Amino acid sequence: MDLAYTPRQQAFRQEVREWLAAHVPAERLVTLERKEGFDQHVAWERELASGNWGMVTWPSEYGGRGLDLIEWLIFEEEYWAAGAPLRANQNGIFLLGPTIMEFGSDEQKARFLPPMARGEVIWAQAWSEPGAGSDMAAIKATARRDGDHYVINGQKTWSSRASFADWGFGLFRTEEGSRRHKGLSFLLFDLEAPGITRRPIRQLHGDPGFAELFFDEVRVPAENRIAGEGEGWKVAMATAGFERGLMLRSPGRFQATAARLMALLRETAERASPGLREDVVRLWMNAQAYAYNTYQVAARIMAGGSIGAEASLNKIFWSELDRAMHRAAMHLLGPAAELRTLPDGRANEWLEGYIFSLSGPIYAGSNEIQRNITAERLLGLPRVGAG
Amino acid sequence: MDFRLPPESVELAEAVREYLAGTHGSDVLRRLDAGGNRDLRIWQGLVEMGLTGLLVPESHGGLGMRLLGGALIARECGRACLAEPLVDTALVAVPWLIARGETGDLAAIAAGEKLVALPHTINPWVADGEGAELASVDPLRNLVAAPEGAGDDPLLLDLGALTSAAQLVGLSEAMLDQAVAYAQVREQFGHAIGGFQAIKHKLADVAVALEFVRPVLWRAAQAMDDGLASAPLHVSHAKYAATDAAYLAAESAIQIHGAMGYTYEVDLHFWMKRTWALSGAWGDRNFHYRRIEDAALGGAHPLGPQHTFA
Ligand SMILES: Cc1cc2nc3c(=O)[nH]c(=O)nc-3n(C[C@H](O)[C@H](O)[C@H](O)COP(=O)(O)OP(=O)(O)OC[C@H]3O[C@@H](n4cnc5c(N)ncnc54)[C@H](O)[C@@H]3O)c2cc1C
Repeated sequence: MDLAYTPRQQAFRQEVREWLAAHVPAERLVTLERKEGFDQHVAWERELASGNWGMVTWPSEYGGRGLDLIEWLIFEEEYWAAGAPLRANQNGIFLLGPTIMEFGSDEQKARFLPPMARGEVIWAQAWSEPGAGSDMAAIKATARRDGDHYVINGQKTWSSRASFADWGFGLFRTEEGSRRHKGLSFLLFDLEAPGITRRPIRQLHGDPGFAELFFDEVRVPAENRIAGEGEGWKVAMATAGFERGLMLRSPGRFQATAARLMALLRETAERASPGLREDVVRLWMNAQAYAYNTYQVAARIMAGGSIGAEASLNKIFWSELDRAMHRAAMHLLGPAAELRTLPDGRANEWLEGYIFSLSGPIYAGSNEIQRNITAERLLGLPRVGAG
Repeated sequence: MDFRLPPESVELAEAVREYLAGTHGSDVLRRLDAGGNRDLRIWQGLVEMGLTGLLVPESHGGLGMRLLGGALIARECGRACLAEPLVDTALVAVPWLIARGETGDLAAIAAGEKLVALPHTINPWVADGEGAELASVDPLRNLVAAPEGAGDDPLLLDLGALTSAAQLVGLSEAMLDQAVAYAQVREQFGHAIGGFQAIKHKLADVAVALEFVRPVLWRAAQAMDDGLASAPLHVSHAKYAATDAAYLAAESAIQIHGAMGYTYEVDLHFWMKRTWALSGAWGDRNFHYRRIEDAALGGAHPLGPQHTFA
């Protein structure tokens, strides 16, 4: 074990810090859950890409820098510490990108990855359906083969950013009459394709953050299928692993929140009860623990290891940490917690953050499902009935 | 930057785990609890594996390992609920003696012939002293009131706290294993109770807690090995978090065992009581919390993502 950063890693950190200091927008962007803010965030994706920071761990041929996971963690620490915007393209770069790299053909890699890294195509994930949430194998939307095309019919829902995104990826039933996780295929489609209707859905915060998608005889070229026909479930499970695992929720993000929370505690120290104080300090510790854990997993992966069902532990921990940190901030703010804009004119980021943090334990596989996975696959407990 | 455990320490810890699983089962705990004598062959085996000399320099007949390796062994002692006086001598006293340049006893300690238990002002009772005076909740812990004027050396405190935290992690892991094993065999309503979600989710919560204590513990041990000024903060973090995880593991395990867990007949209680004992030893939860708060809020330790390891 060697916890010192190498000179190369330190120089890299410096380079990232300087670039971000010069480029992170001074004005806070409008939320990406609104069209205006979405466009601003896409512009930021392109700005990042212009500095070749779109996705630092990807190979350079696809627009990355070929960096390792420790360097990625350093990048993310700096990214969130600099107050840089949320990534509009996270579904693409963190979920679909790794999926294509693992299961896609060379032609698909060349076609889809570089525009993703450049922020030119923003992706939405279309798995959930009205009757298939936690029980994703209940998917009904169909894709019927017709020559060198698939013809899609059905409905998807709760698709993040689909109100404004360019392309979507999702699972469709390609084998007529198939059941559960059999007969599904993983398809990529242009959200502008004829026959697709998007209906934005207002989320808790009031903005149209995600959308329902209706498919009416939508034609998708067969070459947009990732992996073989009927292999969709296997591919989707790998994508879900990326979603719960390291990539989507880098520790730098929670450490930055913890640092802001500690600053808030200092400002409000006079009002904070000892119990609240201890809550906050403990959450700061948990944010540190999350970082240590991630570095440990990253070091293991770099040495040839892999991450399996442990991703569920990770998902439970970060989502509940995030919610608890924002809840603590609401308490620290006291009566000001209800204000959408604070008296000093700043947006109440804690309130926005708290609302958003409530979704963490629901999406990416609800925490109840993650606890089931932990109990069954990591601890070896029996499956009884559903779940 | 490479946050992986050193393979040689992991291998040794695995060998110790196997050895203790084979020789130090709950029959040993029960026999001792009933007033039986220590089986000296168990101690001899630990000596032969080099554990008494784990942190003793090779020049004095030891293995010359670092505290990180010591923490891995302390965790195994916790996992086995070891009733031998290994940790205080080999993992607390030895590094403290070395730091003070008092190397006279090291060879005898490494040879397993001399035992040392050091008192500290924050730790008024020494475990495994001769002629037990005080009854601990842990039936296998012999407590002796520490002599007057015991020291308050911060290094000694950190060594005690670090190794207690490591034992707490091992104890928790063992309690989780026991609860999982029980949930697989105990049937009610026609199913193993482990098939019920209320039980699954309790066990999953323990697994989550432990997953995020272990790296904190390795971090603390390494900080001590590297002599960082922030080491006390990391040690306190480890002790505090390990204490909370251990109470969670113990309470979940007893709940899952139902009334069986509330008896002296299942083994679980030995582990649970050691947990309570070590949680309070070498700085209780409140003490360590205050140290963390002072460091984190007082500005002595830089906060924020850029300082994860710096
Ligand atoms: C902010 C946000 C963004 C999202 N983005 C996307 C997206 O981009 N693409 C996409 O496809 N989907 C997306 N989703 C949908 C998300 O994946 C689903 O919400 C999630 O899978 C849960 O499904 P559900 O909402 O239908 O809840 P349900 O499955 O109806 O569950 C309701 C409750 O019952 C519990 N429950 C269900 N089954 C079990 C069980 N077996 N054991 C114990 N408890 C159970 C759940 O944990 C939950 O608490 C998003 C959701 C949110 C909130």
